Amino acid sequence: MRKSLATLVPLLTVLALAVGACGGGNDNNNASGGNQKGGAAPNTGQTGKKGGTLTVLSLGDVDSLDPGYWYYQYDYMALGLPAQRELYSWKPQDNFVTPDIAVAAPQVSDGGKTLTIKIKPNIRYSPPLQNRMVKSADIKYAIERAFLPQVGNGYVGSYYTSIEGVKDYQDGKAKEISGIQTPDDTTLVLKLTAPSGVLATGVALALPATIPVPKDYAQKYDEAKQSTYGEHQVFTGPYMIPNDASGKLTGYTSGKNITLVRNPSWDAKTDFRPAYLDKVIFSGGNDITVGSRKILSGQSLLSGDFAAPPTTLLKQMVTQYKSQTSILPSQSIRFIALNTKVKPFDNINVRKAVGAVVNREALRTTRGGPAIGVVATHFIPPGMPGFDDAGGNAGPSGLDWNSKPAGDLQLAMNYMKKAGYSSGKYSGPPVLMVGDNQPPASKTGEALQAQLESLGFKLNYRQVQHPTMLSKFCGVPKAAVAICPNLGWGKDFFDSQSMIDPIFNGKNIAPVNNANYAQVDDPAFNKAMDSATQLTDAAERATAWADIDKQVTQGAYIIPWLWDNQVNFASKNVNGVVNKFNSSWDIAFTSLK
Amino acid sequence: MIQYIVRRVLWMIALLFLVSAITFFIFYALPSADPAVLRAGKSPNPQLVEQIRHQLGLDKPLYEQYFDYMKNLLTKGDFGYSYQNNISVRTQIFQRLPATISLAVGAAILWLTVGILVGIISSTRPRSLIDRVSMGGALIAISAPVYFLGLVVLYLFADDIGLIKLFPGAGSYVPLSQDAGQWFGSLIMPWCVLAAAFAAFYARLLRSQMIDTMHEDYIRTARAKGLSERTVIFHHGVRAAITPIVTAAGLDIGVLLGGAILTETVFNIPGVGRLAYDSIINSDLPMIQGTVLLGAFFIVTANLIVDVAYAFVDPRVRY
Repeated sequence: MRKSLATLVPLLTVLALAVGACGGGNDNNNASGGNQKGGAAPNTGQTGKKGGTLTVLSLGDVDSLDPGYWYYQYDYMALGLPAQRELYSWKPQDNFVTPDIAVAAPQVSDGGKTLTIKIKPNIRYSPPLQNRMVKSADIKYAIERAFLPQVGNGYVGSYYTSIEGVKDYQDGKAKEISGIQTPDDTTLVLKLTAPSGVLATGVALALPATIPVPKDYAQKYDEAKQSTYGEHQVFTGPYMIPNDASGKLTGYTSGKNITLVRNPSWDAKTDFRPAYLDKVIFSGGNDITVGSRKILSGQSLLSGDFAAPPTTLLKQMVTQYKSQTSILPSQSIRFIALNTKVKPFDNINVRKAVGAVVNREALRTTRGGPAIGVVATHFIPPGMPGFDDAGGNAGPSGLDWNSKPAGDLQLAMNYMKKAGYSSGKYSGPPVLMVGDNQPPASKTGEALQAQLESLGFKLNYRQVQHPTMLSKFCGVPKAAVAICPNLGWGKDFFDSQSMIDPIFNGKNIAPVNNANYAQVDDPAFNKAMDSATQLTDAAERATAWADIDKQVTQGAYIIPWLWDNQVNFASKNVNGVVNKFNSSWDIAFTSLK
Repeated sequence: MIQYIVRRVLWMIALLFLVSAITFFIFYALPSADPAVLRAGKSPNPQLVEQIRHQLGLDKPLYEQYFDYMKNLLTKGDFGYSYQNNISVRTQIFQRLPATISLAVGAAILWLTVGILVGIISSTRPRSLIDRVSMGGALIAISAPVYFLGLVVLYLFADDIGLIKLFPGAGSYVPLSQDAGQWFGSLIMPWCVLAAAFAAFYARLLRSQMIDTMHEDYIRTARAKGLSERTVIFHHGVRAAITPIVTAAGLDIGVLLGGAILTETVFNIPGVGRLAYDSIINSDLPMIQGTVLLGAFFIVTANLIVDVAYAFVDPRVRY
């Protein structure tokens, strides 16, 4: 679920990362996250009325039909959580995984290098494979196919490469991944080259790469230049997209709608999901203003990928429609990256000066003000393991340049003097800043431009579309972009490795699609991160990643400025349940009143 | 005439080739996003990005990629697969085309009817109250952005969020083949909104043409011959004044058949316009190519039809 926040905002994109807002607007409300503000009391979905049809209004569509590709919020909301089952999954109120296809947590042995997972013997596929049970070999193939370029999975390269034999498989030297073993139909064994905390704790095994895929059925679809298995997939969850006798989906029209109906093969006794609804329709292509109003004033409607409702509606939500609105921290962050390989940001005092001059409250205002989230002071967001250890809302102590949410020009000038600029202002050549060209992100960039200019910076400021900004500028070290103001990151799961490692580990610096935007490559950090990655105890992991977060903050490589909230809203007759893992509605727990 | 049509069709094909080539090379010349990176998700390793690049043929020279694309298009009618969702471009375009055609053709009928009627009435009573009201209204309609007008109409008349619940609101579109009644009802507001500015423009255009025409000598002659005013206006006045309307209508309909993005967005009509917009945002080259070619096809075809129609509308024009 890692996501680049600003992508989502323009009408498309949109996958929605949280922006949102409200409820009292007290910045201190979010201490350890997970608290629901402004809206109705948290609903666990343990009870609900059976039956009915629900319609989810959204701007766009799922990123792909292929479970091997799913990574984003709306993918999980529409398909991942209600229609498929992974080895492990997330109950709405939990920030730890629950066995789903698996019987129990992975059995860890061999010093953390062997994981044994028993799977339930009685889970069946949807038609046309209704007579077939899920086997461990299906999960092995699901993981293997996720490495295929025709599937294009975006995370197995981060979390599954410690499985033995992955490299040979990726290089085409082996037809299977040798470290994934299936001694019998209900046992899956993962042999690792080194201990992996995210696999041992099960959080990375709750990703859609573990959704079972029957090899003999799917392989023909995977042989195409781009896999078409998604259009023919079989389901294991309580719901399915209707299909024909050959398995081709008939209940999906790209960009327009996805229909979910009950999966006749699903057995409630094997699942923790109550699945109250009979039918769910995901209707795409909505205008956000019209769609939001329809939901609030209509019946049986739910918000889909609306990142942030229009400001005027937001105000109404926290007053007039409070009981229909849910606002939660989404464990995501917005930040400014300062490229340490480009002058003058190779100088830590210049970076600190920028940290001091940035008026984070003003930047937040460009997205809607205090309602949309909390001013960020470090990287791990509220609600994530390690947040409090890393400094909580106040941030690490002793960092004066990081403790001025409204900015402090005089302090910034002092740091510029320490950096060798005798006047306290930058006097070098113009620096390149590349940001989004669509509001509200473009407004954020423009506000930052004015703030930096007060410190003497002359900016060569280019505004481009968000995907272009990432794939041609900020994510390409060769482009030598000095400042990227419109970056964001969200958790993949409740483990802070998914927040810190991709952004700050030097080994992740890549020629394209580089997420280490500041190009931080400190051997000590890298070593600390590699060690933290191998910890298999959740509490130890939280502490280790919090320590790294503190060090990262001290280095001022990035200037964090917002921890987002996610706003979800529903019609009055909907008993909506938000899943904290995905920060959006959990269809399998939601019901009609 | 046949020779002329054949010549124009050949030009049309050449033009479509040119459009496809320009679209293709502009995509790579401008700093659009890297399709392989987009396809690979947000955090793939470089090896995966390169594998995808190879898989999609994006590592081949540009001319070779273009040649492959055109070969598949001409030999198999294959527009390729979307980089975004792996679904056939042709399938997606043809799924959405009926909605766009419904919207564009219905709106065109409405704006031509209203525009021509208002234009004639205004021109025959210049500076009268009805003329001033009509032209004032036209000015407002031209000035109102489609997006704004769409929202206002929905807030006033939609059966879900409107103050006066009259017509089906946004997202109510269904194909004609599924339910003709609902199809018609769901398009009433989109047709009106889309047609408003066009009708206003056409009314003003026809009014000015008609005022000029009605002062021509042959109109005076027609009146001197004792023809009724109705015959003078419709048989002699309108027929001569309407040629610019035919030209404009042909092009406007052609453009709209390529997609009416704003109207489709506000009313959530799953048409080609939204598809084109989304494909541009997502740097989805096969989809961009498909939608641009479709738009170009409609425009050049409309142009051809307009030119041929000229000969029938205006007897002075012969090829």
